[in-house]
Amino acid sequence: MRMAEILQYVHKDAFLHRLHPYTKIAFIIVVSIMCLITTNLFFLSLMVLAMLAFAAYSRLLAESLQQLKLILVMSIIFILITIITMPNGDTIGYIVPQGVPFIGGLIPITSGGITIGLVLTLRFVVLIFAFQLFLISTQPRDIVHTLEKVGLPIDYILMFIIALRFIPTLQIEGQRIHEAQLARGFNPGTGFVGKIRSVAPIAIPLVSNALLRSNVLGLTIDMRGYRTGRKTHVRERVLARRDCAVMGVLAVAACGFAALVLLQVV
Amino acid sequence: MIELNNVSYTYPHTVQPALHRITISLEKGRCMMVTGPSGAGKTSLCLAASGILHHEYGGKKEGSVIIDGKDVTDYRSLSDLAQNVGVVFDDPESQMIFTTVEEEILSALEYRGLSAVAVEERLSGIMKTTYLEELKDRSPHNLSGGQKQRVALAATLALGNDILILDEPTSELDEHATKRIAGILRDLKNQGKTILLIEHKFGHFREMVDTLVVMENGRITSGGVPDAVLEDDHIRGMVLPDFSGIKKNVRAADTGEPVISVQNLTYRYGDVLALSDISLTIRKGEFIAIVGENGSGKTTLVKHFNRLLSPTSGDVVVNGKNTKDCSIAALASDVGLVFQNPDHMFFADTVREEIAYGVKNLGIENGDAVIDAALRDAGLTGAAGLYPRWLSRGERQQLGIACVVAMQPSVIVLDEPTTGLDGYEALLVITILKKLQENGHTIVIITHNLDIANHCADRIITMENGKIISDTGGA
Repeated sequence: MRMAEILQYVHKDAFLHRLHPYTKIAFIIVVSIMCLITTNLFFLSLMVLAMLAFAAYSRLLAESLQQLKLILVMSIIFILITIITMPNGDTIGYIVPQGVPFIGGLIPITSGGITIGLVLTLRFVVLIFAFQLFLISTQPRDIVHTLEKVGLPIDYILMFIIALRFIPTLQIEGQRIHEAQLARGFNPGTGFVGKIRSVAPIAIPLVSNALLRSNVLGLTIDMRGYRTGRKTHVRERVLARRDCAVMGVLAVAACGFAALVLLQVV
Repeated sequence: MIELNNVSYTYPHTVQPALHRITISLEKGRCMMVTGPSGAGKTSLCLAASGILHHEYGGKKEGSVIIDGKDVTDYRSLSDLAQNVGVVFDDPESQMIFTTVEEEILSALEYRGLSAVAVEERLSGIMKTTYLEELKDRSPHNLSGGQKQRVALAATLALGNDILILDEPTSELDEHATKRIAGILRDLKNQGKTILLIEHKFGHFREMVDTLVVMENGRITSGGVPDAVLEDDHIRGMVLPDFSGIKKNVRAADTGEPVISVQNLTYRYGDVLALSDISLTIRKGEFIAIVGENGSGKTTLVKHFNRLLSPTSGDVVVNGKNTKDCSIAALASDVGLVFQNPDHMFFADTVREEIAYGVKNLGIENGDAVIDAALRDAGLTGAAGLYPRWLSRGERQQLGIACVVAMQPSVIVLDEPTTGLDGYEALLVITILKKLQENGHTIVIITHNLDIANHCADRIITMENGKIISDTGGA
């Protein structure tokens, strides 16, 4: 069965795949800093477009857009929250129309609220795209090597890798459990209490099975000697000319961005 | 290479010892197969023989385990043990940490202190031995059970140890995949590896097994040269079960009224054509076995019977109702489905409550009486108060059947009901199903076991590539 493969490495031979993990981490850092500093909507929109263009150039556009639904839902929630909690500037309208008796005119929609909401949303989209591009274009093995070199303890690195690796496994298993319970007349339940109750038949088997899994997984990690620390470095990635080029572009972009910030353009 | 002297072991918080005075000795280059009912202590033996028990588990331990001439307690840690012993656990999915096949094996190789050239050489050697070359860029969730098992084995071989311990490597696999694993293990034995194998399918490994050990209730009840051990009738029945004589009354296939009728069913997901123009009539009181290799569409077909899947085109009619017009919950009282791994459904605190879940969902009257009857039918009367996950695999399978029986469906469908069971447990499950058939249920089983299909089913449907290629009962 084909599942949405959230944040899973996709095997391809394209531009991003060929870059050194260092370069990609530098890319994430520069992009994150830029989008967290600026509040300029035009600049943020440009960054989103740049991410999409980059994904397309690396033949990862379809994979990147898998989370579109999640992104849209989150965006709407962000904008609603900021409208409600951060009224600022001109009032454009009201969430509850003024014509409604008694409560009419409640919760004003302000231009400032919308702007902040949009800024947060666009930042969120840029960050998601950047991290996703890194994860789907970098083999977990390379992530392990890179993070080890940076000096992170191997236990933490394995934890991170495993958390990502088991997303589809749990998804598929959840699906199977759901089907098994449906066949037993499982009723998703109505109302708040009903919804909570209906979680048990799915969640309990899922968690129990996952715990059993983690036991085997833990033993496997030990028995393969991943924690011994002695390591032969095979097929290591070296910084190539294209990495230097990308790093150069990133440096120029960072300088340009700093200048724009100083000139108070963005 | 491995010696257990009088090893007894009791898990923490339990009274009954899981291992009782176990003494075995496995010499270099030999293969020992351990078999026995589910819950007999085979996996505990595996953990003890690999030294894991002494290093990772609490509980009461007695006796000594010697690996490669050294007592396991003299090894510093699991990583130290891992220099001598390779273990393949029973769930291959949990043994895959990376996202492509090649990465998985390569990563295991990197920690052996080899030169980079040696790593590459060994990698290609192992890929060849385990027939994984074509799959090297696949991710774990896109592999079949047999392929995953081969990856787990390959990553363990990467360690280059002489001792290999495998816990039921073929239990979830079809005939073809089992043969492949058996072939690989035979080659490894010929290369001089020492192999401790926990298995039920003795028939596939007959040629390579030097010593056959039978475990029951934590004890070794028999052991020695396979031919000598198998002279005992009781053990013969466990290891090489005989299903003949189960089929008593051969029914004429066209007597009963149709309960399920499938008309020109086609099902596709994405670009994959999973079922192609299937037509089939299942009549009341039949016992049908659906056979075919993994991926031939067997499970996909039966999921249409209770609308877990809906046809891309064509119709499925159950007891006169087109499934298009029914909800899954409504069909649950017509068709009961027991999935391959019963652990996917257990969540209650007792066996009784587990069965009650479906009964309550369907609003069946006389719930208690129905549950009692289901417990009796499934041979679980004594287990009503136990925690489902503490049951042995065989009992869990019986519970899966009880849960479905209690919902009183006219058709009961079981996906691989004898997986992971020994001969007697499998025979018990089949006997239970036969009895349900006599009580008027229609039974459909999906099975890899051709022996069971031939001896127990009134009708055998063979599937290949989403099509029915033969059907002994006619249309």
